[in-house]
Amino acid sequence: MVLEALEQEGVDLIFGYPGGANLPIYQRLPDHPKLRHILVRHEQGAAHMADGYARACGRPGVVFATSGPGALNLVTGLCTAYMDSVPMIAITGQVNSAQVGRDAFQESDVIGATSSVTKHSYLVTNIAQLPRVIHEAFHIAATGRPGPVLIDICKDVQMAEAERPARQRVDIPGYQLNGHVKLDQAGLAATALAKAERPVILAGHGVILSHAEQALLDLAEKAGTPVGTTLLGIGSFPVNHPLSLHMTGFMGTGWCLKAVQNADVLMMVGMRVDDRVTARLADFAPKATTFIHVDIDGSEMGKNVRPHIELVADARQALEAMLPGIDSVDEGRGRWLAQIDAWREDHPLRYTHSNGHLQPQDVLIDMYKRCRSEAVVVADVGQNQIWAALWWNYDRPGLFINSGGAGTMGFALPAAIGAKFALPDVPVWCVAGEGGFVMTAQELSVAVEHQLDIKIVLLNNFSLGMVRQFQDDFYGGVRSQVDLTHMPDFVKLADAYGLPGVRVEKLADVGPAMDAAERTRGPFLIDFRIDPEANVYPIVPLGKSLNDFWEAPVGE
Amino acid sequence: MSDRPLPPGSPRDHDAGAPKEPLPTSPRGGEDRLRVLSVLVEDNSGTLSKVSGLIRRRGFHVRAISIGPSREPGRFRMTLEVDAGHAEADQVLKQLERLVDVVEVEDLTDHDVHSRELVVARVAVSEVSALVDKGARVLDTGPTWTTIEFAGEGEEVGGFVDELRRHGILDVVRSGPVVMRRTAS
Repeated sequence: MVLEALEQEGVDLIFGYPGGANLPIYQRLPDHPKLRHILVRHEQGAAHMADGYARACGRPGVVFATSGPGALNLVTGLCTAYMDSVPMIAITGQVNSAQVGRDAFQESDVIGATSSVTKHSYLVTNIAQLPRVIHEAFHIAATGRPGPVLIDICKDVQMAEAERPARQRVDIPGYQLNGHVKLDQAGLAATALAKAERPVILAGHGVILSHAEQALLDLAEKAGTPVGTTLLGIGSFPVNHPLSLHMTGFMGTGWCLKAVQNADVLMMVGMRVDDRVTARLADFAPKATTFIHVDIDGSEMGKNVRPHIELVADARQALEAMLPGIDSVDEGRGRWLAQIDAWREDHPLRYTHSNGHLQPQDVLIDMYKRCRSEAVVVADVGQNQIWAALWWNYDRPGLFINSGGAGTMGFALPAAIGAKFALPDVPVWCVAGEGGFVMTAQELSVAVEHQLDIKIVLLNNFSLGMVRQFQDDFYGGVRSQVDLTHMPDFVKLADAYGLPGVRVEKLADVGPAMDAAERTRGPFLIDFRIDPEANVYPIVPLGKSLNDFWEAPVGE
Repeated sequence: MSDRPLPPGSPRDHDAGAPKEPLPTSPRGGEDRLRVLSVLVEDNSGTLSKVSGLIRRRGFHVRAISIGPSREPGRFRMTLEVDAGHAEADQVLKQLERLVDVVEVEDLTDHDVHSRELVVARVAVSEVSALVDKGARVLDTGPTWTTIEFAGEGEEVGGFVDELRRHGILDVVRSGPVVMRRTAS
């Protein structure tokens, strides 16, 4: 019954791991050749693969896990998807319904453990509920603000037989998609933007999720308004566009932060305005007299910044509603854009090239030349993530995948595997630090088993780099528990898993190693031994305002 | 922008700014953080824990709660008194609306409502006519005690309980409020 319902939803791929409480489902799996199942090596890997799959192709990723530890191993992956609004369906086995609550073997309260990291969850104790629940779950996961939905199915229900009822239209009284749409202030928002002296638009993940990038480009050009993106909004606006401010937030570009802090009208689209975007909240955009917030989730209005004008709608719908209201823009706009150009000149992205060490930016710049705008880059969390975000001119959505809200180390490799399954013809590059990489490195087996063509760029600095940088800069220089000298030889590790790998310590060897990676069909790992003291810049010191960003030292 | 310091952790509030034109929303600030919400929920497994878990996770605090069947089968009506904590007060309602099991939420804080609470108390006296005159009802009596009930608005019930203390309370239980708009909507 479960598998038929999944087929009906158009599922073709499942990432999972069998165990005692979901064996009835696995027993039937061979009868459903259309459902391809990928056996992971740890359930967390399954969740991140489903996440990467969903981010790459837009369809919900599907995960199977057994009860107890199997289901609980999904929690980090569910949280990662929940924080970043990624559609996912997790189907977990639960003990027999008569055993629930008796502390049966491998029983755990999965609904209780996951309700704060899922959009919704179901406990299924009766076969009659099942087809409706699965149909509803896909609807909830993929519509509105997407998110993970968990279905916990008791083992006796998995074994039960029932007539399959005709599919019914989804009708969930507590989930009305258009119930909260509010676009009556679209004209007002357009006027505010057009009449502003110093307007700025910030674009988040919602722009990508709603395919609003064209509407955003049209609006920005028509209103002569510069656009910065959040970390997850990268790709929603082309970085090489003259109006681009690149990335905002506490590791955003200097010219973007200057623009935000001097804006008189700030429009925030499809974003949560979280602490990584605002830095010290009381000093966020202090000159703004009008905040415009566009989000599909009404609870984001005023959660962190109270907007004067709010549009509760899908970003594309909202931006398209604003477009006709933009007529003549303020005559001071040219001065504002010239000012931003001056800031771009004064605060460029820069790094130290020649201190004898291999620099992470050197590696990434070489990689990106090969990617052009055709490859998907999946980053882990930490310095590698911010370098990967800042050092390329992403010109369209879908090219950069990373864990933004949850900041989950170990995300990159399994998410890259999921992305490759979703987009088999697109090159996929995985960028990770050695710390995060070893957290889920067991999934290399999956990449090898399926000969997935994934290039793994390990930026190995022998330490937890971002933590080390924070300790150096903000915690009195006390380096505490960040040393990762004792790590596997990653080339040997790759060999042990059955994939080729090379080590690179010098700039001159970067190109040849990348050539070898590109020539190889199937997974390939490069262990780049980078400058252990390399830092992420710009950065806003913890607790400070966006005005106080530090820049890379001016080098040679 | 305002020089007024914001309370620690409070959302950025722009009410003291000087907008060039009148703005459509009047940002709120400083209002009472206690919200009274009437919530219609589906009777699904875990609905109560999802509602209470959300309230805790978002930094709110439940001051009083009452739950009972609604007029629609399979749905329950919850009345909640919630302290919004450091969040904007309207976040309580907005976050509850996001729950799929929540069919309807209404913020009744500033509305004209019937609000009733129930108290049942056992007092160490047998003569309670003064309490009965105030509207209490005798449920049963023993040789040295009387069990009474009283219903009223929160303040009335509070005053009634204060009065009971003078009689010597042996035991007391008190419900959260149930609240209904005075006018049919």
